[in-house]
Amino acid sequence: MNLLALHRVTKAFGGLVAVNDLSLEVRPGEIFALIGPNGAGKSTTFNLISGLLPPDHGRMLFDGADLTAAKPHERARAGIGRTFQLMQPFHDMTVIENVMVGELFGHTIPKSLDAARRDGEAICALVGLSQLMERQVTELGVADLKRLEIARALATHPRLLLLDEVMAGLTPTEARQAIATIRQIRGQGVAVLLIDHVMSSVRDLAERVAVLNFGSKIAEGSFEDVARNHDVIEAYLGEEAGDAG
Amino acid sequence: MVIFGVLRSGLYSLTSVGLALSVGVIGIVNFAHGEFLMLGAYLGYWLFVSYGVDPLLAIPIGAAVLFALGGVVYRVSIQRVLHAPELNQMLLTFGISIFLQNLAVILWTGDPRTAAVSYKARAIALGPFTVGFPQLVVFGLAMALTLGLYAVLGGSRIGKAMRAVAQSRLGASLLGIEVDRIYLLAFGLSTALAGTAGLMITLQLSTSPFIGLLYTLKAFSIIVIAGLGNINGVIYASLVLGLSEAFVEFYVPQGGGWAEGVFFVLILLVLMVRPRGLFR
Amino acid sequence: MAAVVLLVMIILPVWASRAQPYYLQVALNVLIFAVLALSWDLLARTGQLSLAHAAFYGLGGYTTTLLTTRAGVPIAAGILAGGIVAVVAAIALGMLTLRLRGIYFAIATLAFSETLRVITKQLRFTGGSAGLVAPPLLGGSLPAQYAVILGILLLAVLTSWQVSRSRWRYAFTAIRTNEEVAAVMGVNVVRFKVLAFAISAFFAGVTGAYYAHVFLFINPFEAYSLAVSVGALVAPIFGGLYTTIGPLLGATALRVGEEALRSTVRSGSQILYGLILAVVILYMPRGLLGVWASMVSRRARRAPGASTKGAS
Repeated sequence: MNLLALHRVTKAFGGLVAVNDLSLEVRPGEIFALIGPNGAGKSTTFNLISGLLPPDHGRMLFDGADLTAAKPHERARAGIGRTFQLMQPFHDMTVIENVMVGELFGHTIPKSLDAARRDGEAICALVGLSQLMERQVTELGVADLKRLEIARALATHPRLLLLDEVMAGLTPTEARQAIATIRQIRGQGVAVLLIDHVMSSVRDLAERVAVLNFGSKIAEGSFEDVARNHDVIEAYLGEEAGDAG
Repeated sequence: MVIFGVLRSGLYSLTSVGLALSVGVIGIVNFAHGEFLMLGAYLGYWLFVSYGVDPLLAIPIGAAVLFALGGVVYRVSIQRVLHAPELNQMLLTFGISIFLQNLAVILWTGDPRTAAVSYKARAIALGPFTVGFPQLVVFGLAMALTLGLYAVLGGSRIGKAMRAVAQSRLGASLLGIEVDRIYLLAFGLSTALAGTAGLMITLQLSTSPFIGLLYTLKAFSIIVIAGLGNINGVIYASLVLGLSEAFVEFYVPQGGGWAEGVFFVLILLVLMVRPRGLFR
Repeated sequence: MAAVVLLVMIILPVWASRAQPYYLQVALNVLIFAVLALSWDLLARTGQLSLAHAAFYGLGGYTTTLLTTRAGVPIAAGILAGGIVAVVAAIALGMLTLRLRGIYFAIATLAFSETLRVITKQLRFTGGSAGLVAPPLLGGSLPAQYAVILGILLLAVLTSWQVSRSRWRYAFTAIRTNEEVAAVMGVNVVRFKVLAFAISAFFAGVTGAYYAHVFLFINPFEAYSLAVSVGALVAPIFGGLYTTIGPLLGATALRVGEEALRSTVRSGSQILYGLILAVVILYMPRGLLGVWASMVSRRARRAPGASTKGAS
């Protein structure tokens, strides 16, 4: 059974159709990549899945339940977590406190402050932030901020993790660490749906790939299948060459 | 009733267009806008009582004084928060507003002052309707000034520079426009316009330290209706407010008091239904 | 931190009971102001900077006055009812303004307050612009009335403090800094925003009701006065936002300052608030507590090995 199923979802802004009749399935525990040229509707899809935008048409099923009308915090508690491309941590709090927000509110059964703290520390350890837990987020560099983004998304113990361009701006070493972390996360049973432009990372990570262009899905399959697809190549020809990171 | 609303919208246009300028070009919602209007009104009153100068004739003086005052306020305070969070800017102008309001109370007491101009009560017949003469003059002047501003913005070099800055600060500075000077000019211009409106108010009504807030709120509602930063839409938005208020005054029993709440309803309606404004 | 608060709490009544009635009166005003400041700060923690505090204050005052004079309701119940009516209004206003941010929110709340004033002035039911007379609390005994406001203040302090220590602090801060991310992490943003509004309004309403029975008179100009909203806003900003001490400090300093100013200037003493607000925004964005914190950390840096407890 599918963990996430988008069924004919459409979202338009004024006259512009950002997501057009999109149907997508993510299976439990798989790593699925969503790629496409800029403006293809990938971020909008993420906003639709996490509940920040209501769809104009279509349905979303998560683990069998219809969450189409669910609010963002309800989806978080149901098991959907996400990171944001423009990293926006809660800047008046420390790293561990940022993670604790998810631990405290992202579960159906409320946790105590102590339990939330302990679980938060475990997550920080997973992503490699243990040394920085008590620091103010304003002191963090780019790579650590990315780690924080992932940690925050994991704090709600999701079964589906939406990763929004986590590879952008990372050095090759950092990218390797990120890939290892993502594989570790998947190893714990979490399915990953990721958006990215860094093709080498996508090729390494993704088991299945879907390509969006102008809001519609134009191809789906393994990375190799999709890379050979004629429509996909055409869609990207308008882009600048060399997105490999 | 329509005429009433239209006449009033003229003055509203003038009061609001300054605020629209400040918001559009500088990006600051000047909470103290109404206070500059109030200061203009007091200036007009003082000139009339001390020197017998008709408030309308005093407009050039008033505009100059308020322009200078706006410039000073800008340099001393607002300039520093241009890059601060929006809330800080709002709080700063709010503080300036409270400061000016109370300064007026201290200097001139809270009692309302009226400039009893000779032709205040004179009325003119416009077709089947009788219209107050001062109201008509004010309307004419206010519209002329507002349209004049549009002309300046559209045609002159400075106006074009302002519009460039309003669109993109970075782009404008790359074009060699001294953005900071434009900000200063825009702010001064917006306070000058407010002061001018104040002078016109002295002509029609009494002035007190507290009228500022009400006009700030109404100006805000007008620029919300027009769409933030939309300077051209201010005239239409002013018509909307003016006519709505007139409608309530005429057709709702005891309408005079209730009309004061119209702007609030309009703000809420627009913000909830079409937050980008009606006249984009 | 807690010790400082308790100290402040003990000093005030001791000093007040030894002093002349005038000082007790001033202290009473300070306490009223402190409750308003604390309640405003609570709402500000969710990022909602409201200018509607006067609305709840006035609603509280008018509710209790109408109930006690026209329906024979006992004063205590009237004060409580004042708080409840304020809560209902806050929930309504909170739901209406959910999508508004920053300055839009502020203006909408200000307009709400002003409109309420206009309506109250219009209706004969509420006494029009002449206002209403209210029965005195506890027979007009100043020390007894002082005890009541002290009780209310203690409740407000406890609430503010408890929120800082509990899971609510995480929710409020998250909402304030980034609503969307907070929602995606499981925070029920709507619930917390409206809840904060309701609690904040409750204290404002109760205080307004208290005010009516102490000053025995309520009219639209004073009850819904912008001065109330301004004061409630400037005090926490001056003292230090999002803390319990900050609003207390700010309220005390400002109110005492205003009283001192009032001896020179008959009216318009509010000018102090405008000035302080502008100065704080320009030069001390974190308020008095921020100044204190930076002085402390500067001293710590000069003395290596000394430890500092940062303000949380």
